[in-house]
Amino acid sequence: MTQQSIVQLRNVTKTIGGKTIINRVSFDVYGGEVFGFLGPNGAGKTTTIRMIVGLMKLTDGDVLIEGKSIKSDFEGAVKQVGAIVENPEMYKFLSGYKNLLHYARMYKGISREKIDEVVKLVGLENRINDKVKTYSLGMRQRLGIAQSLLHDPKVLILDEPTNGLDPAGIREIRDYIRRLARERGMAVIVSSHLLSEMEMMCDRIGIIQKGKLIDVQSMHDFVSTKGELFNLLVENPQEARTKVLEHNPSWTVEVLEQSLVINMTKEDIPALVRFCVASNIDVYGISPATKTLEDRFLEVTAEEGVASNG
Amino acid sequence: MVNLIRNEWMKIMHRPGTYVMAGLLILAVIGSTVITLFINSSGGTEDAAWQQQLQAENEQIKMTIETGENDFYVPSAEGALAINEYRLDNDIAPNDRDSMWTYLENISFLIAIVGLFAIITASGIVAGEFSWGTIKLLMIRPIARWKILLSKLLTVASFGIVFIGILIALSMLLGVIFFDGGSAVHLTYANGAVEEGNIVPYLLKIYLYNSIDVILLTMMAFMISAVFRNSSLAIGISLFLYFVGGSATAFIAAYYDWAKYSLFANTNLALYEMGMPVVEGMTMTFSVIMILIYLSLFIVLAFTVFTKRDIAA
Ligand SMILES: Nc1ncnc2c1ncn2[C@@H]1O[C@H](COP(=O)(O)OP(=O)(O)O)[C@@H](O)[C@H]1O
Ligand SMILES: [Mg+2]
Repeated sequence: MTQQSIVQLRNVTKTIGGKTIINRVSFDVYGGEVFGFLGPNGAGKTTTIRMIVGLMKLTDGDVLIEGKSIKSDFEGAVKQVGAIVENPEMYKFLSGYKNLLHYARMYKGISREKIDEVVKLVGLENRINDKVKTYSLGMRQRLGIAQSLLHDPKVLILDEPTNGLDPAGIREIRDYIRRLARERGMAVIVSSHLLSEMEMMCDRIGIIQKGKLIDVQSMHDFVSTKGELFNLLVENPQEARTKVLEHNPSWTVEVLEQSLVINMTKEDIPALVRFCVASNIDVYGISPATKTLEDRFLEVTAEEGVASNG
Repeated sequence: MVNLIRNEWMKIMHRPGTYVMAGLLILAVIGSTVITLFINSSGGTEDAAWQQQLQAENEQIKMTIETGENDFYVPSAEGALAINEYRLDNDIAPNDRDSMWTYLENISFLIAIVGLFAIITASGIVAGEFSWGTIKLLMIRPIARWKILLSKLLTVASFGIVFIGILIALSMLLGVIFFDGGSAVHLTYANGAVEEGNIVPYLLKIYLYNSIDVILLTMMAFMISAVFRNSSLAIGISLFLYFVGGSATAFIAAYYDWAKYSLFANTNLALYEMGMPVVEGMTMTFSVIMILIYLSLFIVLAFTVFTKRDIAA
């Protein structure tokens, strides 16, 4: 990658009461990319995020933001971070505008124009002077994003930003996130326990389970693994499976209803068809199949020998 | 720091509770004033005779000193006697209950209400951020934690000052309207001589003395709020001690000497002027030092725990 690494996690570890909740997590996030932090509930996403933004101390390891350590230079590091940790909790008795003013006052030199600008970006102009207690969850989420952008940070961290939103709200958040990464070159970290959302949002994905980072890959690689999948619609799948495995024992062949799901390449198809004809397997159709993100996720977590319950 | 305090005040000014508290304080001042006026007007008239009254009082004091009954503290009795005689000799009438100065002195008991509100505010100012969940957005700013806590502490202090200000300003206004001017001369007795002084510094001292337990308990509430992050706990413990701490300490002090190290044995500095320390042998200096020790303890606890502990709320 040609971009600069803006966020660096180095062996981040958290132990609470003798229990290791986060275990040597390391990854980098680059400018202009959306990094998905994926894992089932209780995996440690929020705890990791709390450490990145300095709400929790690291038991071991370090977090560097633009090269500044959150441990030794908290103010320098956190200056470049905008975040929502868990729910976007605001002062409900204040208006949206006063909430923004409150946080704006905690930085040097944020003008009223800047506040107006972020309000416009998240499309809250009409309701910004209403009290937050009258806001819907989606509006609160947008206000949350607005407060995280006040100081033009290089890093944006959103913890389960689509939680509880309806599809339109989810889409809206997704569009903001993509825009911020593309147009402003921000490094965006988005956590989620929902795979389907990640697929549309993220460039890269890190999977965390039981406090361990078990895989980091680009979204593209993650979805389409080496070798492709093909569906082979046959008369008698069980019998066909045995025969196909005789033809090529290195393939993984699974039975899915009336078809076989075979892990092979396109070049293998003609030979397979000839084999089927020769072995009296009646073929009704062959079609490419992509693994869903869900499948991949279950696969990856299963490899770790733990059942996922995300 | 100024911006942080402005933020805290913005939050205070947007909560209805603040206005309820200010309203209750104003009602309390007006109510006490009405009751005072009512009692004053229903009592018998005794204007002309202040000289006779003082003489009668002096006779009694003399008898008390001679018989030495009731462990009456002799120096303060002598002081009262000397001051009364000074009044008679120099024709300086004591301020009676219709006087504005007497009213202002008596109304100082309402500092207890300011104390109540200051404790409530101090209990919520840190813990509230935790219960609202806003602490997470507050603490991810490029501002050291101790500065945020200090801004909250200064806000509580300014809140107390504003409320005391309301109390004083309103009672002065009502005092000027509804009470007599009286005499602004205040007599003190020291080293065998009576001295004339202005009453204003004396009143300020009364208000300060009355504020000491309020300040300490507000600080304690703030500390509990910052350490345990729970406003009910802070309000509960502080108010409980506020209301029973004094009498419990007085009770313990009757049996045990160590009671002198308790917070409440040291908050009433006026006792030293009356010559009645809670435990024999305690001095004003001792109490001032104890007060400072307690204050520092609360501050150190609040700041170390708040800056160190993880925010997992
Ligand atoms: N303050 C804490 N004390 C003890 N355990 C905690 C604390 N906070 C979180 N945990 C535990 O750490 C694990 C990770 O939690 P969390 O980071 O909230 O997961 P996620 O955000 O991925 O759902 C959970 O098993 C949770 O029970
Ligand atoms: Mg979480």
